[in-house]
Amino acid sequence: MGYMPKFFSYRAANTLLVFVGLILFFSFFTPRHVFVDPRNITSLSKLMPDLGIVALGVGMLMICGEFDLSVSSVLPLCAFIFISLLKANISPFFALGIALGSGALLGFLNGIITVKGRIPSFITTLGTMMFWRGILYVGSHMWPIGLRAYLPSGSVFERIFVGKIGGVIPVQIVWFVAFGAVLGIILHLHKFGNWIYATGDNREAARAMGINTDRVKIICFMIVGVLCAFVGILQLLRMETFACTQGIGFELKAIAASVVGGTFLMGGIGSMMGIFLGAITIQILENGLILMRVPVFGISAFIGLAIILFVILNTYIEKRRAR
Amino acid sequence: MARKRIYLLSMTILAGLLIGWVVSQVALAMTPPDVNPQKPTKDMYFRLVTHGGDDPFWAVVHKGMLDAAKELGCKADIDLCGGDLALQQKRFKEAVAMRPDGIALVINDDTAWDKAVADALAAGINVIGMNNDDTKHDAGNARLCYIGQSERRAGLMVATRLFEKAKKLGWNLTKAHVAMPVEVPGAMYGVVRSQGIQDAMKEYGITSFEIIDAGGLESSTVESRETSYLLAHPETKFMIGLGGIVTDRVTDSLKAAGYKPGEIIGGGFDCAPGTLTGLKEGYMEATIDQQQYLQGYLGVFVLYLMKKYGFAPNIDTGGYLVDKATLARVVEELSPLHIR
Repeated sequence: MGYMPKFFSYRAANTLLVFVGLILFFSFFTPRHVFVDPRNITSLSKLMPDLGIVALGVGMLMICGEFDLSVSSVLPLCAFIFISLLKANISPFFALGIALGSGALLGFLNGIITVKGRIPSFITTLGTMMFWRGILYVGSHMWPIGLRAYLPSGSVFERIFVGKIGGVIPVQIVWFVAFGAVLGIILHLHKFGNWIYATGDNREAARAMGINTDRVKIICFMIVGVLCAFVGILQLLRMETFACTQGIGFELKAIAASVVGGTFLMGGIGSMMGIFLGAITIQILENGLILMRVPVFGISAFIGLAIILFVILNTYIEKRRAR
Repeated sequence: MARKRIYLLSMTILAGLLIGWVVSQVALAMTPPDVNPQKPTKDMYFRLVTHGGDDPFWAVVHKGMLDAAKELGCKADIDLCGGDLALQQKRFKEAVAMRPDGIALVINDDTAWDKAVADALAAGINVIGMNNDDTKHDAGNARLCYIGQSERRAGLMVATRLFEKAKKLGWNLTKAHVAMPVEVPGAMYGVVRSQGIQDAMKEYGITSFEIIDAGGLESSTVESRETSYLLAHPETKFMIGLGGIVTDRVTDSLKAAGYKPGEIIGGGFDCAPGTLTGLKEGYMEATIDQQQYLQGYLGVFVLYLMKKYGFAPNIDTGGYLVDKATLARVVEELSPLHIR
């Protein structure tokens, strides 16, 4: 097989091409080449991982054939648990562990309700999204909680999650790449990844092969929960305050990022590289268009159009691959 | 002859309709509050139907409402509809069906609430406006009174403060560009506040401005869009957030875009933590505190006094300009108590 056909045989190839194309386009055509200005790159590196890390988990779950709409509630709820523990004089590292554990538990609940109740995950997580947000409102009274009273500025804990390497590179981008790499290894090189693809592609066939598809799905839900908790804490540390508006809208944006990355809504198809690039692409598109001085009121229209075009492109490529 | 009769009949019907419409408008405008001095306070129930969402601003309104209900010994509830007008209309209808002793309604649309409020008043339920009012005030909506800030005046106040500072610094304001991010484009609070800011712009000879869709309530998106905008528009001299969340993110956006305090003058609305930090560090010149606690607190109190004695006062809760000098005294002492 030649280089080109081999390249295009990769599922993330078209996303990679668009990603590179967008970077080149915005680098050359934004006024004063501001897209590659260190300030813009630093800002993107700091802010992109918020949605990106959530999208990695959501995309993996979509490959498994399920959705999680509750991310926008699990994320602030875990951040609230974290800061509440800090208020109770609990060590930040211990509080982190409990918050991540809470994320896993919330994911587990989504999974168990979905697989044991035989309820479509769209409905399950729509319900838990509303339920956990209601619980969050009752618990937090929607009041912001400042971080500084409980965690001093520049602490080791803070630097691990939102510091800057060499005073320049935000650590958040390193976490994003690290999560992408670990989940990529699991999805593509570990047998659990094969189980995810098999479960998402054809659940009955996967069962016949001896795969415990319920367990696979529950674990994927738990991964999403842990990632949401992590991002909730990341945002809280960066903004130095808990806000119950954290994560609002992430549920659909994470799905959009995964779709742009070549993940199929029906499950069984997708790649971690594609999801990773999709999460970056969708945010670069927004950033680049604003830098191009496109009226900011029209940005959503471009992003909507891009999502539709990506789905058409991915469907076309997948049909050709099937031939 | 027949044609003349048809003409006369048509004119009579038209005149009748016109007279009926005028009479009904006058009647509605004159609808008196439903008063019942004998009703025990403990049996009174009031409802606040708002477009508010899951943000700290409405948490303070909620606290004001609860405090007033506790002090009076009555019951009160709040509906937060997250900016969904259709849902808010549904909640209002449900509230009317419950026949409470009064409803405080956020009138966030100039036409959508006209009939609904008139119907509720006709059914004997006291309805007052809160937080947002019809742009024509009592001439546009039959609500019995309004408690909240004059949004246009608030916009004018904060913008005047920012432009005056620039004038003192010797900036050429005729070439200045004003950026106004807003969480929900088209929402009435943003539209009216931006009109107030434009009023101030005219006074100072500023012609260039843009209202920016900040992408909703999620902070990372807001900060990303504000930072990108600042990088793309170096001509920006003022960034005035039209809502609490977009104002909260202005300071971090200015820092991310590489600006030092005072290079771009920031301002906006409400006293979110990021806004207060910006005031301390000099990135923000001033913010408007609309004292929303009073909207919840007085909302219940006015409905109570209306039911008891028929009072219907209009109260302007807003226009309190917070700057570095007033920050510690006014806000930092009361913020931890969730009153400001």
